[in-house]
Amino acid sequence: MATIKTLGLNKTYGKGESVVKALDGIDLTIEQGEFVAIVGRSGSGKTTMLDCMGLLMRPTSGAVMVDGTDASTLNDRQRAELRSRHIGFIFQEFNLLPTLSAMENILLPLRYSGGNRKLARRRAEGFLEEVGLARRADHRPTQMSGGEQQRVAIARSLINEPTVVLGDEPMGEVDTETANALLGFMRRINAERGVSFVIVTHDLELAARTDRVIRLRDGRVISDECPSTHVTQRASTAVPQAAA
Amino acid sequence: MEILRNLWRRKLRTILTVSGIVMGIFALTTMGSLAEHFNVLLGGGITYYGGSIQVTDDKSNGGFGAGAMTLDTLKQVQQVDGVVAAGPAVGVAAKPGSVSTVSFGVPDYIMNFDPTTTAHSPFKISLARGVFPSAASRYEVTLGSTFASEFKKHVGDTIMLPIRPSDATADFVNHQFTVIGVLDQTLTAPDNGAYISLHDAQMLLGESLPAALRGTVDPYQLITSVVAYGRPGTNLDALATRITNQVPGVKATKPSDLVASFESGGAIFTFMTTAAALLALIIGGLSVVNTMIMSVSERTREIGLKKAIGAKTRNILSEFIAESTVMGLLGGVIGFLLGVLLTILLNSGDPSGGLFLITPRLTLIALIFAVALGAGAGVIPAMRAARMDPVTALRAQ
Repeated sequence: MATIKTLGLNKTYGKGESVVKALDGIDLTIEQGEFVAIVGRSGSGKTTMLDCMGLLMRPTSGAVMVDGTDASTLNDRQRAELRSRHIGFIFQEFNLLPTLSAMENILLPLRYSGGNRKLARRRAEGFLEEVGLARRADHRPTQMSGGEQQRVAIARSLINEPTVVLGDEPMGEVDTETANALLGFMRRINAERGVSFVIVTHDLELAARTDRVIRLRDGRVISDECPSTHVTQRASTAVPQAAA
Repeated sequence: MEILRNLWRRKLRTILTVSGIVMGIFALTTMGSLAEHFNVLLGGGITYYGGSIQVTDDKSNGGFGAGAMTLDTLKQVQQVDGVVAAGPAVGVAAKPGSVSTVSFGVPDYIMNFDPTTTAHSPFKISLARGVFPSAASRYEVTLGSTFASEFKKHVGDTIMLPIRPSDATADFVNHQFTVIGVLDQTLTAPDNGAYISLHDAQMLLGESLPAALRGTVDPYQLITSVVAYGRPGTNLDALATRITNQVPGVKATKPSDLVASFESGGAIFTFMTTAAALLALIIGGLSVVNTMIMSVSERTREIGLKKAIGAKTRNILSEFIAESTVMGLLGGVIGFLLGVLLTILLNSGDPSGGLFLITPRLTLIALIFAVALGAGAGVIPAMRAARMDPVTALRAQ
C-alpha cells in the first residue's frame, strides 16, 4: 500500500498580482519501504511539498492520503493524531529540546500520542545502542555533537513506529562523514523495518544513494527516477570521494 | 521536572517574576492576618452584643464609658416583660491613667463576673484552669488569657489591682488579689479581662470616683450598666425599646445597632485585604504575563516541533499554563511563609498576644489565590503558543 499519496496538490502563497505557485499539481505516490530523495533548487517547492505530505500545512487544493486516510477531510486535531502515529520528522537543525536529556527527547512524542512507555523506553534504549549513544542517554543536547544530536532526533522520529519518516535537509548541518553515517543508519532502519524515508536534500551525492530521486522545479515534478539504473556508475565512483 | 528546568533556563527572569508574586502574596498574608484577627475580635463582639441588651444611664452614649446607675434600676429592668434575666455590670479600667495609644483590640479591664446571668449569654467563656469568682468571693480574680500572660500570672499567684500607673496620684489605692482561675483564649474581649465578684468590683468603682463624690454615695449600690437577656424567641430590638420606655432614666441600646457598628468596623479591614489582593493581582499577574509571552516567543521553534510530532492545541496550552501555575505556586508559598514569619516576629514582641492571626482559611485563600493568579496570567501567552502554525513556528529563527 502507498504510504503517502498526493493528488493534484496545489499550494499558492499571496493574493492577486503577487500570487506565487509553490506547488503546481503534484501527483506522487510513496510506496511502503521506499527511500526517496526530493531535490531541487531553493524555491522549487520541495519544502512546501514535505510540509504538505507531513500534514503540517494544508494545500490550497488537492489531497494527501496517509496510509489510506484522506487527510483533507480531517480537522486539525485528527491530523495531529494521524501525524503522531504515522509520520516521523527530522530537521536540519535537529530541534531537540534543550531542557530534556537524549532519552527524554526520544520519548517526547509519546507524551502526545500516548502508548506504552515501558515498551517505548526499551525501543529507545535499542536505538541508542544501535547508533552508539547508549552511554549518552542522560546527556543534554548541548553536551552532544551535531551528528550525535541528529542520531537522537532520528531515534525520536522512529519511537512511535511510523510508516514514513520525513526529513528536511537532515544532513545539512553535519560534515560529509557524519552525513554518510547518518544515511547509513537511516538505510539500515529502512531495510530492517520497512519504514519509508522521504528526505529533501541539496546534496546530489546523497540523493544518488537513495532508491528514487524526485526532482522539482517551480512546483512541478520534472523527473522521477531510480538512480540505481543509470546513475550506478557515477555513484560508485563518487563513494570513495565522499568517504575521504 | 521539565517545568522547573524550563523556568530555570532564565533564572533571573523567573526569580524576578516569582518575586513579584511573593510580594503580592506577602502583602495579602499580612493584611489578611490582621483582618482575620479583627474578624474574630468583632465576631465575639457581634455574638455577645447581638445576644444581649446593654442598658445604660440615658445621659451616657452607647454601651461604653457609661455613667453610674443604682441597683434599683436593675430591679426595674428585671420586671420588664420579655426579660428572662438581667445582671449588673460593674467595670473599671485595669490600668487607670495609662496613656491611651491608638491600639487595635480592647484595653485591659476589670469587670464583675455575674454567675446568675452568664448562662443566658450566647457568647460562652470557659476556664483553662481554676474557677470563676462566686458572689461571696473577696479579693479573688479570674484572668483572661492575655491578661494572665501579660503579667505572667498563674493560678495561686497574687496580683495588685488595679495596676498602679507610673504617675499615680497620692490617693491611688489598689488591693492584692489572688488568681483563682485563667480563661481559655477567645481571641476577643474576654482575653483582656480580669473577673472579680460584684462586691469587689463595686469597691474598686467606689475608689475610682472623684474625691468629692466618694463620701456621698454608697458604692455597694452602684453599677455601671445592666445586661439584659430576652426570653427565647423575643425580638431583642423591640425589647430594648420597651426597656427604654418603661424604665425611667435609662437607655437600652438595640443589639442590631451595636452589631451594625461592629460590622462596619470589620469592613475597613476586609477592604484593606482586598486592596492587598488586588495589588498582588496587578503586580504579580502582569509580570507573569510578560514573562510567559517572552518565554513563548523564545521557544517558538520548540512549539513548532511539538506540534509536528503530534502535540494538540490543548497539549501546548496546558504545558504553558502549568509553567505559569508553578510560578504562581512558588511565589505563593514563599510569600505566604514570609508573611507568616513576619507576623510571628511582630506578635512575639507584643505582650498582648499580637495583632496578626493566621487562620487555615487565610492559608487556603493565599495559596489558592497565588495558584489561580499564575494559571490565569498564563492563559493569554499559552493561547498564543497553542495557536501557532506549526510550519511558521518550526522555521522561526
